[in-house]
Amino acid sequence: MSGTTLSLRTAPAGRIDMTGVLPEILAGRTAAEIEKMPLRVDGVPVALGECFAVTAGEGEALTIRPEGARLDGLGRDMRTGMLRVEGAAGHYLAQGMRGGELIVDGDAGDCAANGMRGGCLRIAGNAGDWLAAALIGDRAGMGGGVVAVGGNAGDRLGDRMRRGLVLVRGRAGTACGARMRAGTLVVAGGCGTLAGFGLRRGSLILGQAPEAMPACHGDAGIVTLAWLGLLRRHAEAILPGAMPDTSRMHRYMGDLAFGGKGEILVP
Amino acid sequence: MRLWREHPHSPCLRETRVIVNGVSIDDTYAEAFGMKATRIVITAASMTWAKHAANAAFGFATSVIACGCEAGIERELSPEETPDGRPGVAGLLFAVSTKELAKQLERRVGQCVLTCPTTAVFAGCTGDEALPLGKNLRYFGDGWQMSKVVAGRRYWRIPVMDGEFLAEETTGLLRSVGGGNFLVLARSTAQALTACEAAVAAIAKTPGAIAPFPGGVVRSGSKVGSKYKALPASTNDAFCPTLRGATKSELSPEVETVLEIVIDAVDDDAMKTAMRAGLDAVCAIGADGGIVRLSAGNYGGKLGQFHYRLREILA
Repeated sequence: MSGTTLSLRTAPAGRIDMTGVLPEILAGRTAAEIEKMPLRVDGVPVALGECFAVTAGEGEALTIRPEGARLDGLGRDMRTGMLRVEGAAGHYLAQGMRGGELIVDGDAGDCAANGMRGGCLRIAGNAGDWLAAALIGDRAGMGGGVVAVGGNAGDRLGDRMRRGLVLVRGRAGTACGARMRAGTLVVAGGCGTLAGFGLRRGSLILGQAPEAMPACHGDAGIVTLAWLGLLRRHAEAILPGAMPDTSRMHRYMGDLAFGGKGEILVP
Repeated sequence: MRLWREHPHSPCLRETRVIVNGVSIDDTYAEAFGMKATRIVITAASMTWAKHAANAAFGFATSVIACGCEAGIERELSPEETPDGRPGVAGLLFAVSTKELAKQLERRVGQCVLTCPTTAVFAGCTGDEALPLGKNLRYFGDGWQMSKVVAGRRYWRIPVMDGEFLAEETTGLLRSVGGGNFLVLARSTAQALTACEAAVAAIAKTPGAIAPFPGGVVRSGSKVGSKYKALPASTNDAFCPTLRGATKSELSPEVETVLEIVIDAVDDDAMKTAMRAGLDAVCAIGADGGIVRLSAGNYGGKLGQFHYRLREILA
């Protein structure tokens, strides 16, 4: 049983806001009904059918073929079902996502998984800046769910993150885990400067030591942590190769200027 | 193994006898009770340390009469079977009420698992109710404890002197069966012990069942009540060989020793499977091994809602 498929007819000049194009909303609708749904291209309302060829299917499954277009807001506020993007996604991917599974075969733009509360987001390529950070104006970032990035992540990964798990198989940019409140970030390839700056609680697990360890993190020495074994088993099922293969890590507690109850773990 | 029904030739024998490999099976039943139970998984850096913790936590847990709970190791777990990839054991705890079970669980994990080097503790089951596991023990961390949610389940990381004690927040409550039993009547103590050891080994292979007494065997089977008002239970004089001749004994002259095996199980099916395994093991030793009879303990059927008839289980 196949789901609904949206294939871009021709790439428009502007960016397409895909807010509201979700598996749970399209489920049970005919192709004609879906084609009448409103979209915005550079802020101008257009019918979905003007941009996409629609093949209606059954169930809460949706495949989008962006054909190189810049599709923003994919999976925004998604709650259930399965959404697959056969290509790259634009900005604001999975913002406020609460459930279901969203798979992006290519790269994702900035501000993905902002304010995400649940579900699973998989990005096969690279992710932009502010992944799993806060929605604009919000005090806390990602609040639940799992994000798995097969490539690299940009700057400000997990900024003000509150709960959930982010796995990055590649590298992250600067200020990785900055101002984190809780949750777990795993970056297999290490990260740039300012890692864990302003970290309150939460865990930043790095496969390689950062370019510079922040001065305001206290060295707790080498420790063996049983929960890493637990996390590894879970993480390997989502994104193999992201977690360090040891539970014996060098622990830095910090940010001491912000309570010091967070941790940076490096092999 | 042979099983046949021996029809009485004499009109004075009123009941059909069932003989299995020379062992007479009484036409009686074990009377068991509904209990509250949970399963926990204890892991450690090695199986040795996991068993140290488990033996301490599940020690002094033979009977709810005075121990608060009945508990035991269900089975050993390989690293592939445990949540954190380390060797461990699964254990079962049984109590008469949810409140008592929660109390015993917290005390035993707090005093025996948290204290044991390298250990971690996880829920071994889910249920319709949650019992606190690390939920309150986390306060031992004095504010340094950390919460982690992995795959939707919350765990507590409590700093201790060898690193961290990891405890899942809650475990599940199981509505289970406790007090399944059978009595092994033998020609000698050595023969009774040999048969019971075989039975306990067979029961240990049954998932979801434990034999909580020392070595899985009880020598002090009890009856309800006592001549002393303060005691709710006292020795089962009808099965005490030394009282033969002085009391209304259940023992024939050739019986020198009676040992009992008590079983707690997570459900009715597990209890039946465990009892069958234990009874089969004893019957396999048979009359040649000195086993005379198999019987069971009950209270007239008025107290326990589960009745396990020996002959039906062996059929």
